[in-house]
Amino acid sequence: MNKPTSPSTLSSAAGIVSRGVPIGDLVQERRVHSAVYTDPEIFDLEMERIFSRTWIYIGHESEVPKTGDFRLRKIGRQPVIMVRGKDGEINVLMNRCLHRGAVVAEVESGNTKFFRCWYHGWTYDTAGKLVQVTADEGYEPGFCQKLGGLARPPLVQDYRGFVFASLSEDVLPLREHLGLAAGMMDYLIDFSPTGKISVNAGVNKTIYRGNWKLVGMDGYHVNYVHASVVEGWGEDENSGIAAMHKNDPFNDAALTRTRDLGRGHVALDFREHRMATIDKYVAFLRTIPGGEAYIEAMYAAYGEERAKRNLSLAGDPHLGVFPNLQLIGNQIRIMNPIAADETEVLMFPVLLEGVPDEINTLRIRQHESFYGPSASGSPDDAEIFERAQLGMNATVNPWLEMSRGLHREFVDVDGTRVGRISDETTQRGQMREWKRLMTAV
Amino acid sequence: MNKPMAVGHPADIRREFEAFLFHEARLMDKHQFGDWMALWDAECLYWVPCNSEDVNPDRELSIIYETHDQIQERVRRLSGKFAHAQQPKSRLIRVLSNIEIVSADDTTVTGTSTFVLGEVRLNRQMVWFGRNEHVLVRTAEGLRMRRKKVFVLNNDTPMPNMTFLV
Repeated sequence: MNKPTSPSTLSSAAGIVSRGVPIGDLVQERRVHSAVYTDPEIFDLEMERIFSRTWIYIGHESEVPKTGDFRLRKIGRQPVIMVRGKDGEINVLMNRCLHRGAVVAEVESGNTKFFRCWYHGWTYDTAGKLVQVTADEGYEPGFCQKLGGLARPPLVQDYRGFVFASLSEDVLPLREHLGLAAGMMDYLIDFSPTGKISVNAGVNKTIYRGNWKLVGMDGYHVNYVHASVVEGWGEDENSGIAAMHKNDPFNDAALTRTRDLGRGHVALDFREHRMATIDKYVAFLRTIPGGEAYIEAMYAAYGEERAKRNLSLAGDPHLGVFPNLQLIGNQIRIMNPIAADETEVLMFPVLLEGVPDEINTLRIRQHESFYGPSASGSPDDAEIFERAQLGMNATVNPWLEMSRGLHREFVDVDGTRVGRISDETTQRGQMREWKRLMTAV
Repeated sequence: MNKPMAVGHPADIRREFEAFLFHEARLMDKHQFGDWMALWDAECLYWVPCNSEDVNPDRELSIIYETHDQIQERVRRLSGKFAHAQQPKSRLIRVLSNIEIVSADDTTVTGTSTFVLGEVRLNRQMVWFGRNEHVLVRTAEGLRMRRKKVFVLNNDTPMPNMTFLV
């Protein structure tokens, strides 16, 4: 085909790429084509060009504290095992027997010395090494050594206990890839006076019939999608997550900002807004059970000034690390793409080490109030994502408008792009990285 | 929890307990939030564990772990116009069975039951299963819920919207 087809002239979104539309044309400065969210062909390309070509969050080291502890996770649609090996290191192994391809670990978590495939009894150790095949006279001597072991992602690195893997070797070192997002992650980790968090309080698993990118990072939706919750904040300013959202952070006149940190990492930046009322927040913390001891531990660990900054975000950097991780509220969140129109969201509440038990119990209660399948927040988000997915089937005008705040966005001294809290700076940042990965050859 | 007693309780306690459960089920099916709220004792706990039937709620996540004020807030939200996940509302029919009295005295009746809950919303039918534990106390107004625990069978799987009352 000599002349590329214009995306606007195609009435149906499916198969838009194989019909000749350059993928880069689907993401423009002000708008995004809905095929990006609805087309199964584009979804397959995402699995290859995004989930197999950049760093994917796997899990936190505290989820596998002891030798042999494991958790099942995914890289895109590919099943992996995160397991603590005998040497104390965390291994990420592809969950697929070398023989006929069956998963070798089937329950979601546990502790084991070996992974055994019960199809024909092949056995692997926690480093993934093939240690035994049954009836081995059927193979030449040295067969196990020759086969080696379970495949691995070529790269596994961690940032302060957050374990990432990459199926491609052609990536920046993790620390560089995270860039300024790493500093935002510190706000969660250093909300603990010991700089240690613990991710072993269970998980909310939810599913919605919509594209994985709809989870996004959006400071504009709160007053509408979450109107039922915002309505109640007036009644008790310290109930549930209201305690973290004083002085209407979602008003464009507030000091809150949307921030594009680069490489698809984005944040709703509450820092200056929170620091403006930090003394009020600290005073509130002192009133809760265990609060006094917690604040003293924070001051002792970091000094009062730094401690106040660490406390300011309430451990909530409201950060998206492209493509599958978010640190929001009191949780680590993983987005697992299932299909173009189906997504799993896993939400792990994070506990703090070195704090009174009451503080952690309160964190769990705060999380439950807004997140999970019966809570006040996430079901409304999922509902709206499903409505968006349905609406995007109307393709007479196939474009999503993402220009909000473009005229008032600016580049900060640290190189990040900054907008008002309701601006679509964050969505544009994510789509810019999407486009970079999807069009790279 | 003690071993359920098959015999030894007067039939009227069992009937009274059953009648309470059926009444509560009807209010939940019909989204009669205010009337359902009135079934709670002032001192109460509404607990829907997550990931298994028994977790330590102080250290582990629940789907719902609420006392009176938070249940009230849930009801306020669901009664309003902006709870999008219940716009439109789920159509619900639940069938209660396996009702057993665990213990009963002058002040308190404790019992377990199981349910099958059919839900239809936006052209999709879902079937939910669960096991209840009710602790009911006698008050001047009649039996009231002191504690209700609901084990939802698929609470360790990716779950869609479960914003109706369980």
